[in-house]
Amino acid sequence: MNKGIRDFDSVLFAQAMDEHLSSLRYASMIQRSLMPDTSFLSGILKDHFIFYLPKDYVSGDFYYAYQNGGYTIIAAGDCTGHGVPGALLSILGISFLNEILQSRSVPRANRILNRMREKVMDALDQRGKEYEQKDSIDIALCVYEPNGSVIQFAGANRPLIMVSDGQLKEIKPNKMPIGVAPLEEVSFTNHRIEVKEGDRFYMFSDGYPDQFSEKTNKKFKIRNFRQLISHVADWGMDRQKEHIEKIFNEWKGSAIQVDDVLVMGFEI
Amino acid sequence: MRLKAFRIENFRSIVDTGMQTVSPDNITCLIGQNESGKTSILEGLEVFSSGVISEDVLRSDLSLPKVTCSFEVPEAYLKSKLHPVNDEFDKLVNSLNNITLIRSWKADLESQMDIGGELLDYIKEVENGRKKELIETGEKIKAFYSELDEARKKKQKLTDKLNSIQIKLDEHPAKEGGLRFFRRKKTDLKDDADNTLEKLSESFEETRGELDKVNSFLEDNSSMVSVVEDRLKTESELESVNKKLDDISMRLEERHQTMTLLSGPSLEYLSRGEWEKVLKEFKSTVSKKERLEKELDMKTLLCGFIFDGLPEEKARIKLQKIEDERKLEYIPRELGEILSADCPHFEIFEDFGSLLPNRIDMEDLVSDNQNIEGYKAARNFLTLAELDYSFFQQPSSRILKQKIENLNTKITLDFQDFWQQYVGRHNKIRINFELDHYSTNHGAKAGKPYLEFWVKDEGERLYPKQRSRGVRWFLSFYLELMAASRRANKHLILLVDEPGVSLHARAQEDVLKVFEDIKENIQIIYTTHSPHLVDINKLHRILAVQRNDLADHRSTTVLLDAARLGDASPDTLSPLQSIMGNPVGDQEFSVDKHNIIVNNVGTFYMMNAAVKLTGYKGRIHFIPSTNSSSIPLMCNILMGWGMKFAVLLFHNDKEIEIARQLEKMVFTNKPGENENIIIMPEEFMNAEDLLSTLDFKNLILKTREGITVSNSEHINLNELPRNFLLSKFLGEVNNGKITRSNLDEESKENLMLLINILQKFK
Repeated sequence: MNKGIRDFDSVLFAQAMDEHLSSLRYASMIQRSLMPDTSFLSGILKDHFIFYLPKDYVSGDFYYAYQNGGYTIIAAGDCTGHGVPGALLSILGISFLNEILQSRSVPRANRILNRMREKVMDALDQRGKEYEQKDSIDIALCVYEPNGSVIQFAGANRPLIMVSDGQLKEIKPNKMPIGVAPLEEVSFTNHRIEVKEGDRFYMFSDGYPDQFSEKTNKKFKIRNFRQLISHVADWGMDRQKEHIEKIFNEWKGSAIQVDDVLVMGFEI
Repeated sequence: MRLKAFRIENFRSIVDTGMQTVSPDNITCLIGQNESGKTSILEGLEVFSSGVISEDVLRSDLSLPKVTCSFEVPEAYLKSKLHPVNDEFDKLVNSLNNITLIRSWKADLESQMDIGGELLDYIKEVENGRKKELIETGEKIKAFYSELDEARKKKQKLTDKLNSIQIKLDEHPAKEGGLRFFRRKKTDLKDDADNTLEKLSESFEETRGELDKVNSFLEDNSSMVSVVEDRLKTESELESVNKKLDDISMRLEERHQTMTLLSGPSLEYLSRGEWEKVLKEFKSTVSKKERLEKELDMKTLLCGFIFDGLPEEKARIKLQKIEDERKLEYIPRELGEILSADCPHFEIFEDFGSLLPNRIDMEDLVSDNQNIEGYKAARNFLTLAELDYSFFQQPSSRILKQKIENLNTKITLDFQDFWQQYVGRHNKIRINFELDHYSTNHGAKAGKPYLEFWVKDEGERLYPKQRSRGVRWFLSFYLELMAASRRANKHLILLVDEPGVSLHARAQEDVLKVFEDIKENIQIIYTTHSPHLVDINKLHRILAVQRNDLADHRSTTVLLDAARLGDASPDTLSPLQSIMGNPVGDQEFSVDKHNIIVNNVGTFYMMNAAVKLTGYKGRIHFIPSTNSSSIPLMCNILMGWGMKFAVLLFHNDKEIEIARQLEKMVFTNKPGENENIIIMPEEFMNAEDLLSTLDFKNLILKTREGITVSNSEHINLNELPRNFLLSKFLGEVNNGKITRSNLDEESKENLMLLINILQKFK
């Protein structure tokens, strides 16, 4: 192959890559537009921050907020994989949540996840067979009741961290995803948590605790993440986000980001 | 074609059943006491097909029987059977999806099949229109005839007068001349002023003028006169035929009275030959009457045309045209004959009519020797085994025997699907047949093949005839019905009188299973006293039969359909009341309160499971309707029985509409009664929606697919066997395989909500 042809090929390749990246950028924009913007979140939450760092242009992580009949629903999801497949599943997840929450029935956190699981299993044609696709969504979902004193939580592999009076409490999720379960699908648990003013809540994907350090080549781990939250919980939300982001970048250093990252903190 | 409704008039104890609708699911059950008239209904239906009756079915007033049946016909059936007549008739034919046929009997007990219903109404309407026209023309003819009569009389009178004047004139002296004049006195003529020549001549001219006028009238109407007279001749002929028919009918009636051992003079003096002559005369007179009636109508029409000013020739051309057009038209009997050719055949099931013989020669089977004992049963057996004679032509005896063994296994398994009774604890009977050949000591039959039948169990190998009466009956019943169902190329309506009287209660339920199995091919109407032969979940199948006056067994028979069961006597309804309390085995039927009607049997299972799962101890008795549309009917029945009840409706379009109907039609103007309509909240479109999707999948469907619609929608969309699934669920709840701890919080909450709702109903 002579040089001229090689140059021509590399030009074509560069052109294709450029088109591909443009598409991804555009897809990223669309994905972002499906998630609630800051002004909407500020309207329904007293305070909040979102640390959202996709590994690629588009992300398998997503956050979600909805308000209906005085109930506020907030969720942070993490779809299997990252990049385009994860992003597509996240869009499915968002649209399923929209469908489910439009129902006039009183929202229950666990029933929302139960219904979402049905939809995902139906969409991916999962029937519990051995060789079928096992794609799924991990999600933490809170329903803040209109009376202002109770928050419901249900989790599919994703916990909720709550900091109240300086005490950190982790509410454990059910160990099953939104999608076909390893053995059998059972109902998600509905946690009803008494809350008071000033309590802060954190939902996150596993991208942050699973991130490897450049220096130690070790994962950040959930234990450190809990400590980090505990450390920043009484700060202002913007400062919390800055610090969490700073710690993440310091920990990662020049190591590759292993997964999409989402940390969501809010106060009701 | 499928029977939809029937009506029997003047048949044994029945005066008029009114139009009775049979069950749409092809199984209709007649209940009632002995002597209530159940069998008469079956016989009445049977003669609809056969047309053959004897005097002993006649009622004491000798009114002649009539059986009317309404059939559902396939789309475009009528169009394919009937030729076009005119736009109106053709349009009517195209719009009909059912036909009514009427079998009626005449005095000679011969019958004819006529069309009824809308087609008859149409024909009658047309006939009435024509009759009106004929009556008007008849009036004109009468007036004309009286004018004609007067003219004729006048002509006669005038002719006589003219003749008398002529005589006088001829005898007048002035005419006769001298001799005669000479012989009379002058005064004789002088005194008679009228007899002057002048006067006589004037009178003669005047009379002749009048006569000319009359003649001219008769002349002018000569063609009219001939057609009117021709018509009158036919009319008087018809009158004498009618009179003759009355005389013969009276003789026939006397004969019926003798035959029914009632009253009246005996006609036994008539020999058989003479009697047949009377019947023949009746038939020919009836046919003559029909011909004359038609002829009279045509002649009246012809008169009408001539009255309207048409010349006779043109009037006849017009009449011919009409006659040609009318040839295309159907008369009720013609339609009856055409359409009855395809209508289902009523057949009474004969007990033991298909009892397997111990042995039957192949030769008799091949040659269709129907006189041989057991022929019918053996043929039915071969039909069920799907065998024809070529099967036995297998050259290899070993292969043939193996095939027979395989068939025996198959036939036995099929039979055991229905006959689930045991001999002893574990032993089930098996039906076997074998092919063998006569030995040399059978003379001419030696070497010829025969079939031998056995009904075996583990302990014994017995010929069919050696088995118990119950087994023999059921086997005969099974063979007859299943074979009929297999070969039903023409729809059959089987009439079964008290099936399974010699069977154990559980075996009677097996009879119902056979009915259920064949109902797609054969409609069944059966009578019973047994609660085991009435399906509680299918009350719509029931027609109650009882005497109008319960104290008098000679009073007329009345039929009460499901909507009027409330009017039936407790004795009539006893089979129903025996089972109403026991639909799931452990509940008592409450006649007072705590009864809740639900839309169907699936919901009935689900509700019972719900009550059990919640551990609710209060008294609730669910009563299943056949479907939500039948709920108002069920309400009427329970109201008739004086029971208190509520209706539990789910939140779907059909049941919301039912709620409206109930408010309007059932609980009308009764304060507080509308509270007895319970409508479940929006999210519960049917009973299975009481379970969360997850529990529905795990406990009922036992699948792991994702379900994104409500449970009830999922069942409908996937056409799942709802009753089966829910009955299985109830079974597992009852035997403790599914308990409250298996439910998720959503299901538990829903079930508690249901109980709270039901508790409000007292």
